[in-house]
Amino acid sequence: MRTSVMSQMQRSFSIDLPSLIPLQLPSRRETHLWYILPDEVKSTSLLKRYSQFLSPIEKDRVDQMRGDELKKNALLARTLVRTTIARYQTNKAVDPGSLMFKKNMYGKPEVDWQNCKNYNVQPLHFNISHTDSLIACGVTVHAPVGIDVEDKERKIKHDVLAFAKRFYTTDEVNFLATILDPEAQRKEFIKLWTLKEAYVKALGKGFSAAPFNTFTIQSKPGTEGGYSLCKTSEVTANPLEKTEECNGRWKFDLLELAGSHYAAVCTEDDQADEGAPMRVIVRKTIPFVEDQLISERIFL
Amino acid sequence: MASLSTSSLSFKAPSLPTRISQVLRKPLSFQSISFGRFQSSKKLRLQISCAAKPETVQKVSDIVREQLALSADTALTAESKFSALGADSLDTVEIVMALEEKFNISVEEADAQNISTIQEAADLIEDLVQKTPAA
Repeated sequence: MRTSVMSQMQRSFSIDLPSLIPLQLPSRRETHLWYILPDEVKSTSLLKRYSQFLSPIEKDRVDQMRGDELKKNALLARTLVRTTIARYQTNKAVDPGSLMFKKNMYGKPEVDWQNCKNYNVQPLHFNISHTDSLIACGVTVHAPVGIDVEDKERKIKHDVLAFAKRFYTTDEVNFLATILDPEAQRKEFIKLWTLKEAYVKALGKGFSAAPFNTFTIQSKPGTEGGYSLCKTSEVTANPLEKTEECNGRWKFDLLELAGSHYAAVCTEDDQADEGAPMRVIVRKTIPFVEDQLISERIFL
Repeated sequence: MASLSTSSLSFKAPSLPTRISQVLRKPLSFQSISFGRFQSSKKLRLQISCAAKPETVQKVSDIVREQLALSADTALTAESKFSALGADSLDTVEIVMALEEKFNISVEEADAQNISTIQEAADLIEDLVQKTPAA
């Protein structure tokens, strides 16, 4: 389903933007995953209009980026967050520029509802991630969310197993070591990276709260893109006796976006509805221009 | 992956250099301030010790330039921020690994994730090199 709105606006010099099309909040067991492909946003007048939504601090950060492409991507990232969150205010049109953000005590960004003019407080969580060629934003309600995206073709400069031995768990290294084809091994390494990053970002307590070598993420047999998390903890002095604590509290989905990127989504499952599946709804967007529904996936 | 939000995911200590320059103007109160009110943190110690040598900063810049595939006309200074150069967390970790190899040091993961500028990387390296017994 494609909704193309006012695309002819891009041709005029000074554009007046249409209202943002409102969105229904995700349900409790749903994640909305939005993404922008920067290459698809070419209109300088549209980009200029986007920049008007940014706070002075955000504008400074965009200006600090070295190079036009990095500046554009930084601008699009803030635009994606602001316009997406604004659209979930369904009962009135709100200005994406009036959203205020703050950081939790570990530095994770959140909406500062107290200071947003005209916004209704919503139990909404968001997280963003971007690469050179894709910017993604995940939205959930009631449960924190972590998103990480990586280019599938991203080259690792170090030896993959050496890198894994340094940062991942023994189980993960053993898994990677069974993959003989270097390309396939590199891809699995990247997938694991996105999953682990997504978890740390969902936790929202900074990297030191969950060093990568303290938890193992492994694929769930019989699922496509389903993963589970096991914490490793050393309770005895003997490093060979590690107890692994696997619980279903954290849910993962790994998917591919635009044929070019891996995207990992991690949310917390309050398990109120035991065993009920979780869903990810993926949509590509150009703010104020168009949305495209890409997929609806179920993960367990 | 990089984003304005993830680059600031680590909680940053308040800007120390300003305070140090104030402290240095009052040498008598230096001791009580550094061991009293402030938490003795690795980061604080790095800032109080001398800034890294220019050669170290240059070596770090070379590694950063290579990891991020920067063009020759991207000027790098000690103050250059990794995030502003387009580095994401995977880049930062790769940079740290390259620094470990180059300088024969071992960086803890928490420190690795908190490095955000070339100066910080250089300072951390010199601190660790000093601690490593001579080979």
